[in-house]
Amino acid sequence: MSPLPWLVAAWLFGIGLYGIVTSRNYLHLIGCLSVVQSATYVLLLSAGFRWGAGPPIFQDQPPGSLVVDPVVQALVLTDIVVGAAVTALLLVLVLQVHKRRGTVDPDALRPLDR
Amino acid sequence: MSGETLLPLAVALPLLGAALLLALGHVIPKRASDMVALLLALALAGIGAWLAREAAAGPVTHWFGGWVPQGGRPLGIAFTADLAGAGMVCFIGLVFAACFAFAWGYFEPAGAMFHVLMLVFMGAMAGFCLTADLFNLFVWFEVMSVAAFALTAYHLESSAIEGALNFTITNSLASFMMLGGIGLLYARFGLLDMPALGRAAAEAPGEMVVAAACCLLLAALLTKAAMVPFQFWLTDAHAVAPSPVSVVFSGVMVSLGIFGIARLGGTVFAGVPAAQGVMHGLLLGLGLASALLGGVGCLQQRHLKRMLAFSTISHTGILLGALALVSAQGKAGMLAYLLGHGAVKAALFMIAGILLTRCGGIDEIQLRGRGRAVWPAGIVFGLAGLVLGGLPFGTLDEATRLLDSAAAEQGLPWLAAPLLLGAALTGGAVLRAGGRIFLGWGRVSGEEERAPTEEEQEPRDRPLWLMLAPAAVLLAAALGLGGPIAHFALTAAGGGEMPAETPNPWLPWAAIGLSLLIAGWDLGRAHLPRWLRAPVEAASGPAFALLDRLHTGRVGDYVAFMLAGLAVLTLGFMLG
Repeated sequence: MSPLPWLVAAWLFGIGLYGIVTSRNYLHLIGCLSVVQSATYVLLLSAGFRWGAGPPIFQDQPPGSLVVDPVVQALVLTDIVVGAAVTALLLVLVLQVHKRRGTVDPDALRPLDR
Repeated sequence: MSGETLLPLAVALPLLGAALLLALGHVIPKRASDMVALLLALALAGIGAWLAREAAAGPVTHWFGGWVPQGGRPLGIAFTADLAGAGMVCFIGLVFAACFAFAWGYFEPAGAMFHVLMLVFMGAMAGFCLTADLFNLFVWFEVMSVAAFALTAYHLESSAIEGALNFTITNSLASFMMLGGIGLLYARFGLLDMPALGRAAAEAPGEMVVAAACCLLLAALLTKAAMVPFQFWLTDAHAVAPSPVSVVFSGVMVSLGIFGIARLGGTVFAGVPAAQGVMHGLLLGLGLASALLGGVGCLQQRHLKRMLAFSTISHTGILLGALALVSAQGKAGMLAYLLGHGAVKAALFMIAGILLTRCGGIDEIQLRGRGRAVWPAGIVFGLAGLVLGGLPFGTLDEATRLLDSAAAEQGLPWLAAPLLLGAALTGGAVLRAGGRIFLGWGRVSGEEERAPTEEEQEPRDRPLWLMLAPAAVLLAAALGLGGPIAHFALTAAGGGEMPAETPNPWLPWAAIGLSLLIAGWDLGRAHLPRWLRAPVEAASGPAFALLDRLHTGRVGDYVAFMLAGLAVLTLGFMLG
C-alpha cells in the first residue's frame, strides 16, 4: 500500500496540534481540533482501502466480489458522530464564554482568578 | 439468572433509564428522577456483585447478537467480566448511589437533565470496565468523556466554562490518539477483539506499528488518568465542576484510566516485550513524578476542591506506580488502593460540597473557623485526611502493604517511600485545611495565600445529615472493609496470599507522622520562630512558584505538554 495516506494523516495530526497550541481564538482552536480528528478519518479509511475494490454493498454486484473493508467505514461513521457532538458542545461553551467575558482569546481567559 | 445474560444489562439498564428520564422528565414528579437514578445505581452495584460471584469460577463472556467466534476468529463484539472488572462495576454503582443520595434535590432546577447525564456517565463507565473489544472500549471512553464535559460546565459560570473547555479539548485529543492507536492495530492485524489482538501481537512483537499503537493508547489513557505531563486539565475541571460531579470524577473516572492501562497491558500488549518494558520502566517514573507533583501542588492550594484535585493526581500516581511493578501482587495493591482511595476521595469531595452549601464558600482561608457549625462534617474530614496521609489502618493501608512487598520482590524496596511521601503531603494539606476550617486554627497563612481561588456557593437546599451520611458510609467502608477488599484484590489479580510481613513496616507511621507535622507546621506558623521558618520557606517557595507557573490555565500550554509526554513515551519505546 502507498505510504501517502499515512503521511497525510500524520501531517493533519501535526498541523492541527500546532494550531491548537498557538491559537489565539477559541473558534479557530475548535477548527484545529476538527483537523486533528480528520487525521483519524484518513488513517482509518486508508487502512480499509483496496485498489479497484467496490463499495461494500452487494445489491448491484455479485457476492464475493472485491470490496473495501466495511468495518473501518463503520468506525469512521461512529467517529464522525462523536466529533459532531463534541464540536457542538464546544461551540456552545465558547458562545457562553463570549457572552460572559466578551472575548474568545484563550490567553485572556483563565479558570479561577489569579 | 446466569451471569452471561446479565452482562449486557450493566450497560443497558443505565442507558435505558437515561432515555426514559429524558422522555418523561417533565411529567413525572420532581423527586422521582432522584429515586429512579438511585435505584438504578444500586441495581448496577447488585449486577456487579452478582457478576463477581459468577466470575470467581472464571471470566463470564457474552457475545452480542450471538456472533460467537468461528474457527478461532472473532466476528462480533464481546463483553467479558473478570473478577476485577465485575468488582469495578459494583464499586461504580456504589459510588454513584452515594453521589445520588448526596445530591438529592440539588439539581432540581435542571429537571431530570442531571440524572440523564449521570446515568449515561455511569453506563459508559460500566461498559468501559466490561468490554473486550478495542473499538467498543473507545466508544465507552468517548461517551464517558462527553457526559463528563457537559456535567463540568453545569454551573455555566465563567470559571466553570473555561475549566470545561480545557477539559474537553485535552480529553478529546486523548480520544483521537486512542482512535489513532486502534486504527494502526486494525490496519496491521484486522482485529478489534482484545484477547485475539493480544495473540496476534505476540507473534509480531518487534514491529513498529505495534509500538506506535501502544504509545498512542498509553498517551490517551494517561491523559484520562491525569498523569504527569498529561495532568493539567484535571485541576481545572475538578475545581469548577459541581461538587456531586467532582465526587464521581475523583472517586472513579480518573482511576479508570489506570484500570484501562491494566486491561490493555494484560490483554493486547501482554506478549509484547517492548510494551511491558515501557510499563515497567517509564510508567513507574511517571507514577512517581505524579505522586510527588500532586503532593506538592496539593500543599500549595487554598481552594478546597482544587486541593483535593491535586491530591487525586498524587494518589493516582501511586496507582500507576503499583501497576508498573508488573506483578500480580502489585496489581492487587493497585486494585485495593483504587477502591479505598475512590471511597475516601468521594467522601472528601462530599464534605467540600457541604461547606459550599452550609458555609457559603470553598476557600480554606476565608472559611477559617466557620466550619464549627457543621462539626460532624469536620470529624469525617479529619479522619479522611488521616487516611490519605497514610493512617496504618483500613483499605489504603492494606494496599500500601501489598505495594511495599511487591516492590521489594521486584528489587525496588525503596519504591514505597517516595510514593508515600506524596500521600503524606496530601494528607498534611487536607489536615491543615480541616484544622483551619473546623477548629479555627492557623491564623497566619503561608504559601497557600497566593494560590488561585474564587467565591463559590451552592444552594442550601437539603438537610445536613442527608449530605453527610453517604460520606460517612463511604469512609467507614474504606476503613472497615480493608481485609475483605485486600483479599478480593488478591484473588482478582491472582496474587496469592496476603504477605505476613512487609519490608518497611515503619513506613505508614512515618507517613502519618509527616502529615501531622506538615499540618501542625502550617497551622502553627504564627508561633514558630523566624530562624526556623525562614530556611524551610526559602526551600519550598521556588518549588511552589514553579508549579504555579506551569499550571497556567491556558489550553495551548496543556496540549504542548501532552505532546511532550507523547514524545517521551515514543523515546521510551525507541530506547527499549
